[in-house]
Amino acid sequence: MEMIMHLFEDAFFAALAAIGFSAISRPPRRAYLWCALIAAVGHSTRYLLMHVGSIPLHIIPASLVASFVIGTMAVFISSYAKFPAETCTFPALLPMIPGIYAYKTFAGLMLCLFSQQEGMFDHNLYLCISNGLTCGAILLCMVVGGTVPIFIFKKIAFTSTR
Amino acid sequence: MGVTALTEIEAPSDRDLCLFLSKYSAWLMGSGATCIRVEKNVKRIARAYGREVELYIMPKHVHIYLWHEGSTETVNSIATVNHTAISFNINTQLSQLSWAIADGKTNFSDACRQFKEIVYGDRQNKWMVLALVGVANASFCRLFGGDIAAMAIVFVATIIGYLLKLELIKRHIDFRVVVLSCSFISALIASAAVYLPIEATIGVAVGTSVLYLVPGIPFLNSFSDLLYRHYICSFSRFTDALVLTCCLSIGIFAGMSIMHLNMF
Repeated sequence: MEMIMHLFEDAFFAALAAIGFSAISRPPRRAYLWCALIAAVGHSTRYLLMHVGSIPLHIIPASLVASFVIGTMAVFISSYAKFPAETCTFPALLPMIPGIYAYKTFAGLMLCLFSQQEGMFDHNLYLCISNGLTCGAILLCMVVGGTVPIFIFKKIAFTSTR
Repeated sequence: MGVTALTEIEAPSDRDLCLFLSKYSAWLMGSGATCIRVEKNVKRIARAYGREVELYIMPKHVHIYLWHEGSTETVNSIATVNHTAISFNINTQLSQLSWAIADGKTNFSDACRQFKEIVYGDRQNKWMVLALVGVANASFCRLFGGDIAAMAIVFVATIIGYLLKLELIKRHIDFRVVVLSCSFISALIASAAVYLPIEATIGVAVGTSVLYLVPGIPFLNSFSDLLYRHYICSFSRFTDALVLTCCLSIGIFAGMSIMHLNMF
């Protein structure tokens, strides 16, 4: 029961985040609700992959699968709603941005620069690289997963505004 | 899916069409379209008027060559990409316009009029966007494990940072400086909450208070351009996004340092 509550909470806040961030990129008005739906499904897919099943997936492959779901949904919905698939892909992907990893990567780098002792420097470098690698891998998976469906279903994607 | 070829009478002169296509592609690029979309839309319009077209897309310019099939005479035009705010509304409507021309639903003079209406008529209620961005960032905070107090802090930090962004953009300040200043202010406000007599997940609040500045669309577009072998544009967009991310990170670090907040 607690898991289901978490899943719905995750989907709800991902949808809210997607609506807000789609507003920054000025989409057509009819796109807002679609962005929310795609983000909710995408983010809860990642949540399920990471928390359910005998072998929970690591955040990196889970992000790849969830991004692919987002990209594919965006292509098919865009052809129904008559806007380019990219309109929904970015706002829906954004709730999965590894913000905390990115922030810790940069923090590690800064702390490295101001480290006085070798031990501290090594530790800070470790923090920087470990967070940076995770952040980079998640970002790459998100971009690949979100963009490849447009490449695969290019006929649908490029006639969506007809 | 074929496109309708229009009659010679309805077709504009090579020069008029070339100028229209160069402005069209410059606006489409500027509104955040990928290179492949610009290429497909421009070719669709040109073919509807019985012309062939080649595009040379660079990060800041679009060079267009236009000619009649079988002819050796070409007309060319260069347009500077309009670096305006990303607008998927313009992107959508310009794509729809290309199909309207291709399907013979609009003539050239109407298309020119509609083009102006699309690019100059894109308005948005800034207060609504402001509220939505604040709520979105607060939701992010929750997704990353923040509590209610942290969400409230993020909401306030985002609103103030976003207002500053609008003000600096209005004054035509360099966008990198805008990102650096806004991330600094948002991080400073979120970090300052550490001195408030409340229990909150401040680390999460600081990390999420600047996410409205993440250059996500340039990152996504750079990969799309990479897939279609538009390597120069891909590299340019990626570098742009990377520079903005560095500005954002420096802003956070400065904000936190002033408040003596430890990052780990």
